[in-house]
Order: sequence, then C-alpha cells, then structure tokens
Amino acid sequence: MIPQEYFLTLSAILFVIGALGVLTRRNAIVVLMSIELMLNAANINFVTFAAYNHDLNGQVFALFSIAIAAAEVAVGLAILLNLQKQSDTINLADLKLLRW
Amino acid sequence: MDLYSLTWIIPFLPLVGLLLAAALGKKAPEGGGYFVVGSIAVTCLISLVIAYQYLTTGNGVPVDASITWIDLGGGKTLDMGYYIDGLSAVMLIVVSILCTLIVIYSIGYMHEEGERKRRYYVEIALFVTGMLGLVVASNYLMMFIFWEIMGLCSYLLIGFWYYKPSAAKAAKKAFLVTRVGDVLFMIGIIGLFGAFGTLNFRELFDPANIATVDPGLFTFSLFCLFGGAIGKSAQFPLHDWLPDAMEGPTTVSALIHAATMVKAGVYLVARSMPMMVHAPDVLIFVAIIGGFTAIFAATQALNNPNIKRVLAYSTISQLGYMFLALGCGGYIIATAGTNEQLLEMGNTGYMAGIFHLMNHAFFKALLFLGAGAVIHAVHTEDMRRMGGLSKKLKITSLVMLIGCLSISGIPPFSGFWSKDLVLESAINAANVNPWFWLLYIAGTATAFLTAFYMFRLWFMTFRGPEGEAAKHAHEAPAVMWVPLAILATAATIGGIFLMFPGSGLPGVISTVSPEGHIIAGETLGWGWLEKFFTAWPTYLSLAMALLGIALAYAIYYKRSIKVDNVASGGLKGVYDLLLNRYYFPQMYDTFGTKVIYGTALATDWFDRKVIDGVVNGIAFVSVRSGQVLRRTQTGMVQTYATVVVAALTVILIMMYLLGGL
Repeated sequence: MIPQEYFLTLSAILFVIGALGVLTRRNAIVVLMSIELMLNAANINFVTFAAYNHDLNGQVFALFSIAIAAAEVAVGLAILLNLQKQSDTINLADLKLLRW
Repeated sequence: MDLYSLTWIIPFLPLVGLLLAAALGKKAPEGGGYFVVGSIAVTCLISLVIAYQYLTTGNGVPVDASITWIDLGGGKTLDMGYYIDGLSAVMLIVVSILCTLIVIYSIGYMHEEGERKRRYYVEIALFVTGMLGLVVASNYLMMFIFWEIMGLCSYLLIGFWYYKPSAAKAAKKAFLVTRVGDVLFMIGIIGLFGAFGTLNFRELFDPANIATVDPGLFTFSLFCLFGGAIGKSAQFPLHDWLPDAMEGPTTVSALIHAATMVKAGVYLVARSMPMMVHAPDVLIFVAIIGGFTAIFAATQALNNPNIKRVLAYSTISQLGYMFLALGCGGYIIATAGTNEQLLEMGNTGYMAGIFHLMNHAFFKALLFLGAGAVIHAVHTEDMRRMGGLSKKLKITSLVMLIGCLSISGIPPFSGFWSKDLVLESAINAANVNPWFWLLYIAGTATAFLTAFYMFRLWFMTFRGPEGEAAKHAHEAPAVMWVPLAILATAATIGGIFLMFPGSGLPGVISTVSPEGHIIAGETLGWGWLEKFFTAWPTYLSLAMALLGIALAYAIYYKRSIKVDNVASGGLKGVYDLLLNRYYFPQMYDTFGTKVIYGTALATDWFDRKVIDGVVNGIAFVSVRSGQVLRRTQTGMVQTYATVVVAALTVILIMMYLLGGL
C-alpha cells in the first residue's frame, strides 16, 4: 500500500503552488484557478484520511467541496465579467482604488 | 417671638422696589424713585420693629433660623437663614434709617439727572438689599453673597457717570482693589468650611467646636477673613480706591462709601469676634492695621483741596479707629483668662468699635449729604473756589458745623463719646501689652489731625471771602435739608445711646469670652459721665481736638499763618507727598503694570508655548505617523493576502518550535 505521507506531500505541494499563484499572479482568472488548486489540495486530504481511517465522512465532504467549488467558480466568473465591463480590465495590479 | 420669622422679608422688600422702578421707571415720576423710597421705608419699619423686639425682650442669646440650601452629603450642608443678636439689631437700626434718609435725599439731589434716574434707583435698591442681607445673614456664605452684591453696586454707582473717564477708571479701580480682599475673604470661608464642615455662625462660634479644629488652619482662615475686611473697609494697604470712589454721586458716597458698605468690613470683624478671641495674633494685626490706617489716612486729608476726598480720607481714618477698638477689645478678652474685670474692659472696647461705627455712620452721612448740598449749590467740589457760603447756605453750614464738631470729638456731640472709648480701649490693651501704647499715641495724634482737617474744610467752605463759585448759590430744597436735620440731631445726641439709664448700648452689644460666656457690658448709665471726666486721656484728646480747631482757625480763617509759605517752604516735600497721596496710586499702577502684567505675560507665554505646544505636538506626531503608516494600505488585494499568509506562516512556525503543535 502506498504510504499516507505520499498523498499528504502531494496535497501540500499542490496547496503551496495554489497559494503562490493567488499571491503572485496578476490575472484574476489565473488567481481563480489557483484557488481551485488549493481546494483540490484540501480534497485530496479529505479522501486520503477517509481511506486510511475507514471513514466515509471524508469522501462525502470531498463531494460537497467539489460541488461548492463549482458554484464558487460560477459566482467568481460572474464577478470578473462585471469587473471587465466596469473597468475594462481584470488585471489585479490595476484594481487598487481602495488605498490612501 | 414669631415676629422674627419676618426677618427674611427685610432684604427682599427693596427688591420689590427695584422691580417696580425697573418696570415702571420710564413713566413714573423721578424715575421710579418713589417706589424705591417706599419699599425702603417699609423695610426700615420692619427692621426697626424686629430690632426693637430683640433689644427689649432678647437676653443676649442670638435668635437664628436656617433652612438647607444645598445638601453636600456626609451631613454637610450650606444653609440660608437669619441670625439676630445685639450687633445685628443695632446694625439694622443704623443701616435701615440711613438708607431711608439718604434715598429720600436722593429725590432732591438726583432731580436733574433725567433718564438715568431709573438706573440710579434700581442700583440703590439692589445695594440696600445687599447691605441688609449682610446684616441678617446666618452664615458666612450668605454674608459673602450679599457682600459681593454690594461690591457690584458700588462698582456700578461709582461709575454712574461712566462717560467721564475718571469715573469709569475709579469704578474699575474700586472693583479690582476690593476684589483682592474678596478673594481673601473667600479663601477664609473655604478654610473655615474645611476646618469646621459648616459655615453657620451658631456652630462656628461654639467654643467646644473651636477647640477641636486645627489651630493653624483656624488662624489662617481668620487672617484671610480680615483680609476681606481690609479690602471692603479701605484699610491700608488697600485703601486707595475709596478717595477715587468719590467720582460717583454724593448720595452714593454718603450711603455706600461712608455710612454702610465700608462698614461691612468692620461688621465682619465684629461678627467674627467670638472666633477671633481664640486667635490673639489676628487681633493684634487688626489693631495695628486700624491704628496705622487711622493716622495714615488722616495725614492725607490735611491738604486735599477736594471737599469729598477730604471726607473720604476721614472715613478711612475713622474706620481705622473702629478696627483699633475691635482689635484692642478683642485682644484684652483673648488674654484675660477668667479675670472678670479685664473681660469687661475688653467688651467695652468691642462695644466702642460698634458705637463708633454707629456714630460715624450718622455724622459722616451728615457731612457727605451736607457736602452734597454745597456741591448742589455751587457745582464744584474744589474748596478753593468756595468760601463764604454760610450766608447763603445757613442750614447746611449749621449742620456741617455739627458734623465737624462731632467727628472732632467735642462734647456733647456723639463722636466725642465713642472716640474716647476707642482710645480708652487702646490704653487698656496697652496695660496688657505695652506695644499698644504706640497705637494709643497714633490714635491721639489722629484726634488732633481730624479736628484740624475737618475745620479746615468748614472754614474754607463757609467762612472767609466769597469764592468765585459761590455767587449763585442757593439753599437746597426741603427734601434735602430735612434728612440733614434728622442726621444732625442724631449726631448731636448720639451719646445718649451710651448712657440710657439702666441699659443703653453697653447692655445690648456684648461679646463672648473664650470660654463661651456672654460678657455683661458696663451699663453705667449716667455713671459714664463721671468715668469720662475723671480720666486724663479724655482731657488729652479734648486738648488735641481744640488745638486742631485752633490751628485750622488760625490758618484758614484768620489767615495769620500763610498756607503758601508752608506749601513752598521747608515742608514742601511733605506737602507734595501728602497731596500725591504718598504716591499710592502710582504704586498701584506700577504694581499693576510690572508685577501683574509681567505675570500675565509669563502666563500667556506658558499657555502659548507649553500648554499649546504639548497639544500641537501630540497632533503633529499623530499626523506625521499617519502619513507614514498609510503607505501600508496599498489597495492591492494580493498585498493584504501576502501579509495574512506570511503572518500565518510565522505563527505556525512559532507554534511548532515552541511546542504548541
């Protein structure tokens, strides 16, 4: 059997990639995609622990999480669409009205 | 007994007159003056009835009643009420009669003032409220309130002709100089409240309470109270406002600056006597200030050409006599222990102070109103332009002569009796403490000076060749000379109050010994005559007075000694020094510009640089740090997210290293 640590390491790497994407990329759609990566890292953790602890709750939570991620992307894309209409850009570096 | 419950009406009735005069004064004749005269006359009647009731049925025990005004919690209250004893009964009689007579006289004197009459009568009515309220007050706080009302009225009335710069200046000066005393008075009251926890006379005068308080604070408070008296009664070194106060109408000078308000300081010391006998140091100070002021002010009256200023200096000097008597009498009581004879002597000194207050009130009001009649007739206050007026102002010259004889201490006029009692009390005190001989000598010398300057005034005004201003003089109307005649009668027979068979003034004016016993007065009746005319000091002071009159006669009537020789000869320096009032106005001014203005400048600098500097500094630091810190708010979502992630990472690492995880 593959050791649990392999899955968890994969999940951690995925999460860090997602986080770096959120923090560094300037395109809002890429940021949204990076968030999806972080969610998937969490999902891997859910199913890993569910499999190794023989508890189906984890699987159920992973399904929930995927469903909610889908909904979140829909909302997120809708916001971005409005953003594009309003300010003609989705580059986050240009969207800094709330400052000094 | 129920009659006493009317006492509260006394200070309030003049207020009714005030309101009527203020509301209807524009239409009513004499600017509403008749309302004020009426209300004061009714007040006078009530005062006399109450005083009569106390003097005939009271037995030396004060009658008082108070209601709580402000409850401070912890059993401490500030009260309102009245307090009647022999002292306030006598004061009621004197004050209410004088107020009535002088306000009646005002009807004639102020007749030509037109529109301004309403203001005059309103202010006079308020003043009468203040004075009568002061007399019947049952605690120091009430006393202070009425005291301040009088101060305000004094200011307003001195500045009655405010369009004259000298009057406006004099009003300011009077207000500010007496304010020094008022602040001291207030400190004294706060000190007493701190020591006793109450301001009611009844509790303050109880020797059992006095024994329990901190003696240092007690003595300090009494010194401060006397400081208030110095300011109000124009004693050295706060005397210089009173001569300037003569800028007001003569009736105001007579009422406020001779007969009543300036007596408030004397009244304050007399009222506080049951406490002061526990603090002999204060009483020595009172006597010294009194004795020194008596001679100091008398010298300045010697060559002043203004008729009212001479009278003003004479007032200061006579007030000094009263303080001298109170100080000496109180000192004897304070040091007498249980010696009955000494206690009685001390009480006589105390009584002498009150007696002189009463006599002085009558004859000085007489002199001022007489001077008012003269000024009314000749329209000047400069005595050098008068002269020879006795032919045209027969009544006035006669009543003025009575006033002069009285203040000079010529028997049988009233001033003789009280002045001799004052000097006798100084001798009695000197037998206890030899330093008081100096005060006796000062007092006797003052008797000489007083006789001289009063007869100088009389001869210069009424005798000699007719002055330039005397050409069109005419006698005053009846409404003016009738009060003068009444006052002249009082000044003539005032001594009778001392010698009433059986009782008289010594029977009703009494103070308490340090143990709290009421000391019986020396009620000698006609025996006083024997006492007076078998003692050497009587003949000495009488000789002094006659000498003074003779000198004034020689210089100002016979002209056998030329004034000009004195004024330009070897005594020129002294003459100018007196004419310039010992340079006291300049000293006040210098003190004001150098010390007070300097302090003000320093305080202003401190306010602008230090206080404002601190406030501005705090604001500056806030603004600058805000300017720096706001750079952290970039508006970039990702920057904020980076900070959050970085902080979370640091926290997690810390928890891992420190074993939290």
